Amino acid sequence: MNAGTSYDYTIYFVNVPANKLELWFWMESDRLLNPVFREFYSEREVVHEERRMRTDSTPTGKFQEQFDALFWQSSPYSWPVVGWPSDLEGITREEALEFFGLYYAPNNLTAALVGDFDPAEAKALAEQYFGRLRQGDRAAPQPRTREMPQLGEKRMTAYAETNPAVTIRYHGVPDGHVDEPALVVLGQILSGRTGRLYKALVEEQEVATNASGGQAGYKFEGMFVLRGTAKEGRTPEEVEQALYAEIERLKTEPVSARELQKVKNQNAASNFRALRANFALMNQLLVREAYRGWETINTDPALYDAVTIEDITRVVNTYFEPENRAVAVYYRQESDEAPDPRLAGLDAQERQQVGQMMAMMQEMDAEQLGQFVAQIEQMGAQAPPENQDMVQAVLEIVQERLAAAGGGR
Amino acid sequence: MTVRHDGRVTAGAVVALVLAVGLAAPPVYAQAIPPHPTDLSYERLSFTAPVASDHRHELTNGVVGFVVEDHELPLVSIALTVRTGSYLDAPDKIGVASLTGSQMRAGGTTSVSASDFDEQADFLAAQIGSGVGGTSGSANLNCLTKDLDACLDLFFDMLRNPGFDEDRLALAKSRSIQQMERRNDATASIEGREWARLMRGEVHFSTSSRTRPGVEGITRDDLVAFHRRYYHPGNFIFSVSGDVETAAILAELERRLADWPVGTEAVPPVPAPAFTPRPGLYLVDKADVNQGRVSIGHLGTTRDNPDRYKLLVMNDILGGGGFSARLLTRIRSDEGLAYSASSNFGVGVYYDGVFRAGFQSRSETVARATAIVFEEIERIRTEPVEEEELSNSISYFVETFSRNFSSAGSTAGLFAGDEYTGRDPAYLAAYRDNIAAVTADDVLDVAQRYLDPEQLVIFVVGNLEAILAGDPEHPEFSLEGLSPGEVVRIPLPDPFTMEYPNP
Repeated sequence: MNAGTSYDYTIYFVNVPANKLELWFWMESDRLLNPVFREFYSEREVVHEERRMRTDSTPTGKFQEQFDALFWQSSPYSWPVVGWPSDLEGITREEALEFFGLYYAPNNLTAALVGDFDPAEAKALAEQYFGRLRQGDRAAPQPRTREMPQLGEKRMTAYAETNPAVTIRYHGVPDGHVDEPALVVLGQILSGRTGRLYKALVEEQEVATNASGGQAGYKFEGMFVLRGTAKEGRTPEEVEQALYAEIERLKTEPVSARELQKVKNQNAASNFRALRANFALMNQLLVREAYRGWETINTDPALYDAVTIEDITRVVNTYFEPENRAVAVYYRQESDEAPDPRLAGLDAQERQQVGQMMAMMQEMDAEQLGQFVAQIEQMGAQAPPENQDMVQAVLEIVQERLAAAGGGR
Repeated sequence: MTVRHDGRVTAGAVVALVLAVGLAAPPVYAQAIPPHPTDLSYERLSFTAPVASDHRHELTNGVVGFVVEDHELPLVSIALTVRTGSYLDAPDKIGVASLTGSQMRAGGTTSVSASDFDEQADFLAAQIGSGVGGTSGSANLNCLTKDLDACLDLFFDMLRNPGFDEDRLALAKSRSIQQMERRNDATASIEGREWARLMRGEVHFSTSSRTRPGVEGITRDDLVAFHRRYYHPGNFIFSVSGDVETAAILAELERRLADWPVGTEAVPPVPAPAFTPRPGLYLVDKADVNQGRVSIGHLGTTRDNPDRYKLLVMNDILGGGGFSARLLTRIRSDEGLAYSASSNFGVGVYYDGVFRAGFQSRSETVARATAIVFEEIERIRTEPVEEEELSNSISYFVETFSRNFSSAGSTAGLFAGDEYTGRDPAYLAAYRDNIAAVTADDVLDVAQRYLDPEQLVIFVVGNLEAILAGDPEHPEFSLEGLSPGEVVRIPLPDPFTMEYPNP
C-alpha cells in the first residue's frame, strides 16, 4: 500500500489477497467519503522530511528543481511536485480539506483493479461502495496557464557533487500530440547501447561515458531531453556540442530503414512485457486514463508502428532550434569552500585529502588540534619529498585553526 | 488479468471503473454495508504453492534446470545461476569477477564482434544480460517465443565463447573509475559503505572496494582466466519460465550443452567475515546537507536458525511492517520526525546477517528519533507484544505468502536460488504453519536473546555540527548519551584509493 503524486495525477495503490477485495472497497470508499486528516500537522513535517531526503540532501536534487523552474516559464510544471519549503510549512488542514473536496470527488476519480477476481462481483461492489460518493459541487478546474513559446536559449551552470554532465531540454509536445509517436521513436533511435548517441559520443568520439535522449509528454506540455556525462578529461561543453551534431545530422540525413525497424521490433516485444506484472498494468491503465483514456493501451501501438522515416526528419526539423532549448551544465564541485591559495601546488587527490582533514578539524577543540599538529609534524618527518607540499599546507591550516581556537604555541 | 495473445488488454478481468457522474437512481444493494470493516466476512484464502520437485529436472550431464510454463504471453525467460562470485577476486584485483560478468555481455564473442552482437540482440528485441555479484553469477535472456532459437544462439555463444573486446573493456574500466569519483557525493552511498564496514570489517569481500590502481591493472587475460575457471556446465543451474514446452526446452538445453565438458574443480566456499562489530557512536561529517541518515544495529543470525520465523514476526512488529510497525508509528505518524523509518533482522545464507534500524531526519531531530529507536528496542525486549499486533503480523505473512509465486519467472527463480544455496525446499510447505505458530512469548523471548542494546552500533552521516547540537526544544536527547561505547569520527576515504586519512 502506498501512494504517489506526479505532475498530472495522484495514485493510491494497494495489493490485497484475493479474498480481501471487499475490504479494499470498504476502506477506500470510507476514506473518500469520511476524510478526517488525523495527524495532519505531523504528516506535514513528514512531507518536509521527504523533501529533505529527495531534494535537499541529494547531490543534484536542488539543481534539478532549479532547472525545472528555469525551463518552464509560465506553466505550473515549473513547481516541484513535493512543494516549496515555505508552502510546506504553511499549508493548513482546512486548505487540504478544501482541495480534497474539489479534486477527490467521484467525477474526478478512476479506479483500476487487476488480478484474480470476478469482474461481475467487482462491479457490483463498486456500485455498492463507490456509489455512495457524492459528486462535487463544481467540476475540478483544469489549469489555465499554458507555457509561453520560448524566445531565447536559457542556461544554468551548476557546481555540484556530481560528475561533469550536460542536460538539454527542448520544449516539445504533450502526451497524445500527433507528433508524439515520431518523437518517442526518435528518442529510441538515439538511446540504448546500439543507439546513435552511445555509438557516436561514447564509442567513436570517446567524449562521454553515457548519452541518451527521449520524449517526455505530460498532460498539457512536453519536452525532448538529451543527456550526456563527460568522460574524464573531457568537458560538458564538448558533450553538448557532440549532442547537437547528432541532431543536426538528423535534420538532413534520414535514419536508416533498419534503425527504424529495430525500434519497432523492440516496441512489439515491450508491448507484451508491459503486461507481465499486475502492478505495472494497473499503473499504466490509470496514467493513461488520467491523460487520454485507458483504451490507448490498445490503440497507441499502431500509432508508433506507423511512424515513417519522413516523420522523424520532420520532427527533428520542427522542435530542435537553439532558441527553444534550455541547457544545464554540471561541473564537479571540489570543495564547499573557495579555492584555498595554500593548496595551489597540490594535485586533485591531495587537495581532496586536505579538504577532508579540514572538515575533521572543524570538530576538534584546541587540545585535539594541538595533538593533530604534533601528528602532522611527525608525518612530515617521515613523508617522502613529493608529499612535503601537502604536509606543509595542512600544517599551516591546522596551526591557523589552533590559533583561532585559542590554543597554540 | 486477461490478456489476449495479441497483447491487447480486454475488458475481461481488468476493470477500469470510471466513477461516472450522476448515478441518479440509487442502486439496489444486495447487502447493507457493514458499519465497521471488522464486520466483513471473507472466504477462506486457498492457495496451494507450487512444489519445486514438480519443476526440477536433471540433464544427462547432471545440470539442474527448473521449468515453469506460462503461456499467457508469447515470451520466454531463461535465467542461469553460476557458481562464482566477487568473493573469489584477488585482493589486488578487485573487480575482475564483476567485469568478467558484465563484459561477457558487452564484449561480443570470439566469432561475433561486440557491436554486431549488440545489434543482433537489439534487432531481435532480446533482453540478454550477464553479471557477477558477491556470491553468484547470473545470465539471462528474455525474448519473443518466435525468436527463441536465434536468441539461444546468441545466449550460448556469449556464455561459452565471450570475446572480451579490448575497447569495450577499456570503456568499462574508465566508467568504473568515473563512478569511484562519486563515492563520497551522496550521503546514501556513504551510509551504505560505512555501515557495511562497521558490521563486516575491512578485510572481507563484502567491503572490498575497487580502486583506481586495481582496476587499471585488470587485463583481458584476467577476464578470460576467470571465465574459463568458473563458467562450465558443472557450475550452472537453469531456470526457464514462460511460453515453452518443458520437454522441448530441456531437449534444447541438452543439445546446446552436449559438447561442453563439465569441469570438476571445486569452487571455494563463501568466507564468513572474521570481525566483531564494536558498539559505539560512529560519525561522518557531510556539512552541506540538512538531513542526517542514521543506521542502528548489530549482527543478526543465519537463515537455517529455527528461530527465524519468530524473528521475522518480532522484527515486523518492531519496524519491518511499515505503517503498522512501532518505529514508523512513533517516529513518523506520532512525531513527524522522518519520512521513512524501519528495521530489518537479517538472516544470512552463508554467515550472520545484520539487524539494522534506520531512518532519515532533519539534523536537529536526529538524536530525538534515535532515542525512540532505543526505546522501542527496549520495549519489545521487556513487554509482550499486543495480541492484535501479533495476529496482524502473522496474517500479513500468511496471506502474502503467495506473492513469492506471483509469476512463472519468480517461481522458477525462487526454486533455482534455493537449489544454488543448498536449501531444502520443504521449508516452503511448512512456512505458513511456522509463522502461524509464533506466540507473544516467542516474540519476547527472541527479542531478549537476539536484540542487545549494549552491542548496538549507531552510525550517523550528515551535518555533524547541527546534529550534535540537537534540538534546542528537547535538550534531553543527545547521541553521545545514547551510545553504548566510544565515539568515533570516520573521515571520508580517498575515493580512488579507498585509503582513509589517519591524522
